[in-house]
Amino acid sequence: MDRLYISDWCAWCASETQCASPQQSISSPVGSSLPGLLRRRLDAAGRATCDILHALAPIDGCPLIHASRHGDVTHTLSMLESLAQGQPLSPARFSMSVHNAVLGVYSIAHQHRQPLQALGACGHEFDALLTEAEGYLDAGHASVVIVFSEGELPATYHGHTPHPGQACAVGLRLTRQANEHPRLTASPTATPGEPTPLEVIQWLAGNTPWLDGLQRLTLEAE
Amino acid sequence: MHETSQQLTLDLKRMIIEALELEDVTPDDIDAQAPLFGDGLGLDSIDALELGLELQKRYGIKLDAEAEDTRQHFASIDALRALVETRRDR
Repeated sequence: MDRLYISDWCAWCASETQCASPQQSISSPVGSSLPGLLRRRLDAAGRATCDILHALAPIDGCPLIHASRHGDVTHTLSMLESLAQGQPLSPARFSMSVHNAVLGVYSIAHQHRQPLQALGACGHEFDALLTEAEGYLDAGHASVVIVFSEGELPATYHGHTPHPGQACAVGLRLTRQANEHPRLTASPTATPGEPTPLEVIQWLAGNTPWLDGLQRLTLEAE
Repeated sequence: MHETSQQLTLDLKRMIIEALELEDVTPDDIDAQAPLFGDGLGLDSIDALELGLELQKRYGIKLDAEAEDTRQHFASIDALRALVETRRDR
């Protein structure tokens, strides 16, 4: 990992007691960065993602990448249930049932015209976000904002898939410029993991010494 | 026996708020004569499809999305009420 610095970050958790310090947290209720007619189409994690993007994106914009393992799974499940019962699908829900829907809403609300990318990576979302961000930085962009979120998991799925246990989201603005920002370094790990947004928040807040994904990530003061 | 026009107007306002998830909007906020789309309430084309589905579920009214008169039926709450009063089967 070549010179990757975190110039800012912020987070949101549905249960705020488990989240980052107030300085690094998005204020509730989430969705204040969106007009009401767009806000209504997103769940809480999608709204928080937009607030985080708005807080971190520079005024003149930069590439934005959003990752989620499960996406808006509550609404996905309700559509599957409708199909199983032979009921017609809600057009509004169907229109939002793509992984890049949250970025689409953000880009409409804020007239964003730079690259947007949505990722799902079966547990390797944070690794994938960093890989893609480095690609944009190496292509000449001064900064990239990444957001990793999970929505609330419906009871039907409990015990069947890894999940942080609550809706949460975390965003980072990454750059190649040091400027006394913390530096991200990667080293091999013997215990690879599939970090959730909550684990990323705990690590960024300094509560855990490293973050194990496909590699072990650590933060160093420059 | 069907409800009065006044009650139907209120029902349609509630239907729109509920089906379109218009948070922070109350029936009193919706002017029955004002346009629902564009400058008025600000609804979009996805909302039009959602309303079409809702009319079918609640009142058994099936509209042709391509027909020119569909646009007129969706002009305002009053236009919707006139449509439901003449075409409802439940």
